[in-house]
Amino acid sequence: MNGEPIEAVKNGVQVMISTLRQHPQALETAFISVITFDTSARQLLPLTDLAYFQMVDIKASGTTALGAALELVSICIDKEVAKTTTEQKGDWKPLVFILTDGVPTDNWQHGLEQFKQRKVAFTVACAVGGNADTGVLKQITDNVVSLETADGQHISKFFTWVTASVGVSSTKVEYSGKEVLGLDELPPPPAELNIVT
Amino acid sequence: MGKTYIQQLFKAYNITVDAGRQQLFEEFMSDERNILAAEQIITNQRLLMDTWQFKNRLADIQQQQVVIPNATVGKAYTARFDFAQLKWEDFTWSGINGLEDIGLAYDTATAEIKGTPVKSGDFKIRLQYRLQGQAEETPLNEKLVSLVINPNPRSLWKDLPSDREGAFWKEDNVTAFAPLGDKHLVAASKRGRSHANTGAYRDDDFAFTHLADSGWSILAVADGAGSAIASREGSRLACNYIIDYFEKEFSPALQADFDALLAEYATTGSDATQKKLTRFVYDILGAAAFTTHKKLDEFAGGQGMSLKDFHSTLIFVLLKKYVHGYVIMSFGVGDCPIGLVHTGASDITLMNRLDVGEFGGGTRFITMPEIFKSDTFATRFGFKLVPGFSYLMLMTDGIYDPKFEVEANLDRLSAWQSLLADLGGQNDDRIQVTLDAPSEDTARQLAAWMDFWSPGNHDDRTLMIIC
Repeated sequence: MNGEPIEAVKNGVQVMISTLRQHPQALETAFISVITFDTSARQLLPLTDLAYFQMVDIKASGTTALGAALELVSICIDKEVAKTTTEQKGDWKPLVFILTDGVPTDNWQHGLEQFKQRKVAFTVACAVGGNADTGVLKQITDNVVSLETADGQHISKFFTWVTASVGVSSTKVEYSGKEVLGLDELPPPPAELNIVT
Repeated sequence: MGKTYIQQLFKAYNITVDAGRQQLFEEFMSDERNILAAEQIITNQRLLMDTWQFKNRLADIQQQQVVIPNATVGKAYTARFDFAQLKWEDFTWSGINGLEDIGLAYDTATAEIKGTPVKSGDFKIRLQYRLQGQAEETPLNEKLVSLVINPNPRSLWKDLPSDREGAFWKEDNVTAFAPLGDKHLVAASKRGRSHANTGAYRDDDFAFTHLADSGWSILAVADGAGSAIASREGSRLACNYIIDYFEKEFSPALQADFDALLAEYATTGSDATQKKLTRFVYDILGAAAFTTHKKLDEFAGGQGMSLKDFHSTLIFVLLKKYVHGYVIMSFGVGDCPIGLVHTGASDITLMNRLDVGEFGGGTRFITMPEIFKSDTFATRFGFKLVPGFSYLMLMTDGIYDPKFEVEANLDRLSAWQSLLADLGGQNDDRIQVTLDAPSEDTARQLAAWMDFWSPGNHDDRTLMIIC
């Protein structure tokens, strides 16, 4: 990605940050990390408090190491997103946004396997321009958006939407996914039950 | 100097001086005009090189990435340009104009930007400087440096009323005060800033009743899931169904059974009695929880909605004073704690275990059928017979998160003592909740206290105190 598309991405990030700074919940709670991927993937910015965020110089030219990026984001989630314990308050589940304009050039399935094992609130993949493979992105997430032409206006629309998503994510959710059929009556207590001691 | 230059010049152009012309060359070299011409060339060359070096240096400084920390409106700020680290040792003077408009000032002596910002935004500040060797009268050089000033989050929160015409509307803020036998109930439930900011509804709720005939009090607190569309109604119904259930189903005959069991327990305390009491708690409180679940399911069906749309946590307590002391029985699903602060705040009993997920916000709800099937269902009950107590508190995570932070603190007496001191006036706003002389005013004080500021913690807040 270079020329107008990468400039549009940079601009999009900048606009997103400025907008999020006007959102009190985001300003008090949101952290941001930036990972770029071309011939390799690297974390340009570790998870950083929105209030301290400084714009980074995003560059992405060469091939499309999507698999490496997915693997790296998995590692970063393990390392940087706190889980709840009795002595530690857990972070909200992360939101992951992927922007790409190319077809993966590495073993992306391996990266995807890693990524699928991580818990995220949701993942959005955005195919920029005509060359991106939405089929691949669909396997990463159901939320795939496509920006037909990779111009500034389209990319800024995507970031507007990303910005809106960040604001709504911190709400109470159920933490068990399993579906159980309805019950007719309360099951009997286990034999060894001790409430009164 | 000029002479050497001319010799080098000739050499560069392959001009050789024959032996026969040596005399002529000597004369040429001793001609002052020639020497002067050569010296002028040298001077001009130096000038060109110096100018180039200077321009180069300016360009380097222009390109250099200079990062200063972000500031926040209303927060004291200091940022220093570290000249050594920036390799700016050749700066002889620096200054910044126009910072006053945003509440900051630049100290030339210390190279520090200082002050308390008054305006937020992305600013480009103009750092003016002069380099070594630059004459006083030459214009100053300039470098633009980005400075981000975050708004004060407190100024961004809006307080938009919820839509009274909307489905399942409820009051944004409520308080309650009531005598409860020889105790008092003080409660407040407030819509959180995160909801007020968007005109959304309060998801928390509470309900209580005191059955004057039997002396039983029933207390319920619930917190609707932010992710469910009708959770505000789920929490309201869950509380009310519990009250309904005990008003209708806790018959005099059942109560008499319990009274007899308790008397036996208080006098003998035998294992058999304990088992019978355990079963009683499980059966009656379990049935109340399960009936609430089923009624919510029916209600959702009647609305053509899914039970999930009404996801809500629920805690409830049955309380009665006997000659043997106070009986406190509890049930809980979700992340709302019930704390029993013993007489003289000497000890604490956490009546329930919280359902807390791996990540923020994850919990379980009364609306989830699996909680009744799970092995952990039996661990949701609590029973306590105590001679007396100072406070019984039921709260939602809007209070628990900022005041206890982590689950482990709920078991620590010190954390509860801090909360009591906080309620007693040890807070930023100096608001005192007079729990030692409870009245209607106390409930209003509690509501005012609940506006406490805690960054990132802007959920609905509900606290019910029996004192």
